[in-house]
Amino acid sequence: MDFDDTREEAAWRAEVRAFLEQHRDDGTDRDTVWDTGTARTWQATLYDAGFVGVTWPVEAGGRGGTPMQQAIIDQEMSRLDLPPLINLIGIGMCGPTVIVHGSADQKQRYLKRLLRADDIWCQLFSEPAAGSDLAGLRTRAVRGGDSDNGGDNSHWLVNGQKVWTTRAHQSDYGILLTRTDPDVPKHRGLTMFVVDMKAPGVTVRPLRQMSGGADFNEVFFDDVVIPDAERLGDVGDGWRVALTTLMSERLSLGGGGTGIGPRAETVARHVAEHLGALSPDRQALVRQQLGKAYVAVLGARYTGYRQLSRISRGELPGPEASAGKLSGTRSARDLADLAVRVLGADARVAGGFWQELQAGLPGMAIAGGTDQVLRNIIGERVLGLPAEPRADKGVTFKESLAAERGTP
Amino acid sequence: MNFDLDQEHRDLADAARDFLSATASPAAARAMLDDGATVRPGRAELVKSGFATITIPEHAGGGGGSVLDLAVVAEQAGRLLAGPSLVTFARAAVLLAGDDRLADLAGGDRSVAVVDHDGPVLDAVGADTFLALRDGALVCGPGTVTAREPIDPTRGLGDVTLGDTEELVPDAAERWLHGERVGRTILAAEGLGAAARVLEIGVAYAKERYAFGRAIGSYQAVKHLLVDAYVEVEQLRSLVWWAAWAADHAPDELPLASAAAKAAAATTLEQAAEAVIQVHGGIGFTWEHDAHLYWRRSKVDRFLLGDDVSAYDEVARLAVTR
Ligand SMILES: Cc1cc2nc3c(=O)[nH]c(=O)nc-3n(C[C@H](O)[C@H](O)[C@H](O)COP(=O)(O)OP(=O)(O)OC[C@H]3O[C@@H](n4cnc5c(N)ncnc54)[C@H](O)[C@@H]3O)c2cc1C
Repeated sequence: MDFDDTREEAAWRAEVRAFLEQHRDDGTDRDTVWDTGTARTWQATLYDAGFVGVTWPVEAGGRGGTPMQQAIIDQEMSRLDLPPLINLIGIGMCGPTVIVHGSADQKQRYLKRLLRADDIWCQLFSEPAAGSDLAGLRTRAVRGGDSDNGGDNSHWLVNGQKVWTTRAHQSDYGILLTRTDPDVPKHRGLTMFVVDMKAPGVTVRPLRQMSGGADFNEVFFDDVVIPDAERLGDVGDGWRVALTTLMSERLSLGGGGTGIGPRAETVARHVAEHLGALSPDRQALVRQQLGKAYVAVLGARYTGYRQLSRISRGELPGPEASAGKLSGTRSARDLADLAVRVLGADARVAGGFWQELQAGLPGMAIAGGTDQVLRNIIGERVLGLPAEPRADKGVTFKESLAAERGTP
Repeated sequence: MNFDLDQEHRDLADAARDFLSATASPAAARAMLDDGATVRPGRAELVKSGFATITIPEHAGGGGGSVLDLAVVAEQAGRLLAGPSLVTFARAAVLLAGDDRLADLAGGDRSVAVVDHDGPVLDAVGADTFLALRDGALVCGPGTVTAREPIDPTRGLGDVTLGDTEELVPDAAERWLHGERVGRTILAAEGLGAAARVLEIGVAYAKERYAFGRAIGSYQAVKHLLVDAYVEVEQLRSLVWWAAWAADHAPDELPLASAAAKAAAATTLEQAAEAVIQVHGGIGFTWEHDAHLYWRRSKVDRFLLGDDVSAYDEVARLAVTR
């Protein structure tokens, strides 16, 4: 057992650290979070230095590096409190899906531009009627528009609606999960595409979040034409393709040292600055709250290191990796709540960094698998507890829709 | 980074389990409650096996092993509710470093207990040599023990009145603190074993007990209760390994790591034991069922080596000054 970097890892860390420290002002610039131009430039700077997509194959624009190298970058970025890259969803989810299921031509056209944030990508999975139960989605893709148009099979016509699509309003491309066959069980009739977000018929409407910001959107597809060459994987094989996306998400959420919400160290420093102004009774209560959240964060962090150790041995993260996200959504809220509380008189009014932060955290327990869905996954796949009976088993998508509507 | 147990640790865990399970078990713990049976495997056997004296140097007759080695064994001991606690041996190895009495302990000629200032002492029952901190000095001597009515009899708690003591180390505050931190680490490792085991019992029952035509583990109210305990147990495992590693290799990290492990162990074992009682329904509330034996362990251990409240407080104090 050890926490040491190997010689190569240490050299890599030194290289990453030196670069980040030299360029950190470009990255911590407030504009990086809000202004897409600055954020794209920052990601391109990092890519050109060799620090984006290191685990991707060389022919995909990456470096063919190890997950450990990526983890070291994540750790060093987090150490300097640098914000996540603008194209995180592209790098963590869309790109890996294209790498596994895309054609040579798609890889050639998309991947390097994605890594440099020349193009920004979004993930078009969730719909108004399909979130946790993703396979219940309704957006239709029909080959050649419809069956009697003279057999033009070179393109698809898409109609439907997606929702909660992060960064759709800034995106150039998206991976789009559609239903191509409603007459088979719902997991089987799906097909995945790359969609040009600037194509005619694509309408993006920003949705305002409870935090006041508008990072996610509803996206409408009205007779959008997608060339068949933009299909990812086989027709009807979209569920398997989507699993690649979701697995990659797990990998990108897995490692130790980075997490959800504020860094515990940052909150502790903030609490330290305000502690002296509180009565001794209050100080003791604040320390209990900080201690509890801090232990939870340390527990998750060191559990992340165990996962990282397995990854560095070449194993893939299993469903137990969901535990880190599950506990992180709780401890992040506890930390933010405490950080706001110690502001005293200002705690009940908006406008500060911590107040803004706290309003964003409830979404973390919903995005990327709700807390309840993650508990189901851990319970069933790690503890081996039986799944719940499901009402949609053994019926076609159409039949399950009819059942939901209460029609026989 | 290689934050995982090595093969030799896994082998050590297997060997410890084989040895301990020959005598220690929840049934043995229940027998102590029922008719005052003695603790299993007991002091003499534990010492003879060499497991208890792992962290005592070889020249003093111990195993010359690491705190992590001992933590690996302690997890197995916790699973079986074995006694006496390895905490006492771990602390004694620190406190008696360089003293002849350590060889006596390793040779089975002395039964040591470590006297904290705050009430009934862990494994005082059956001890003949007591270590204490008095006015900043480490002292040692005989004492009289009054056993107290046990919640968890495997912990051997008793009030200790020290007899004539001898000063072993004059300025021993640092050494005492270090012993406490190593002790907290081993206590947390025993808590980890107990929590992991009781959770296994709960998960197994949730798969076999049926209600309303299906296994109760398929109901989310039950499933999620167990999952929450599982997440805590795995995080506790990480904290225990970190604290043990820090005790061996990174003294700067030990204060935070051992306080975090102690606090997490206290809350996790309690949470797991209560969840598993709940999952069992009526049978979980019976004397015959093992669940309450783990519950008893949790209700006592949370107060040992400082309670969870003081451990959380320590974590926070360290965090704000880091
Ligand atoms: C900030 C944010 C960003 C997002 N970004 C994207 C994105 O970029 N792309 C994208 O495709 N989607 C995105 N989403 C959508 C997200 O994936 C879904 O919101 C999520 O999967 C939940 O689906 P839902 O909103 O339809 O809620 P529902 O699935 O309707 O869930 C409602 C409630 O029911 C519970 N529930 C549902 N099923 C079960 C079950 N089997 N057992 C127990 N409880 C259950 C849920 O836990 C929840 O509490 C984002 C969401 C958020 C909040």
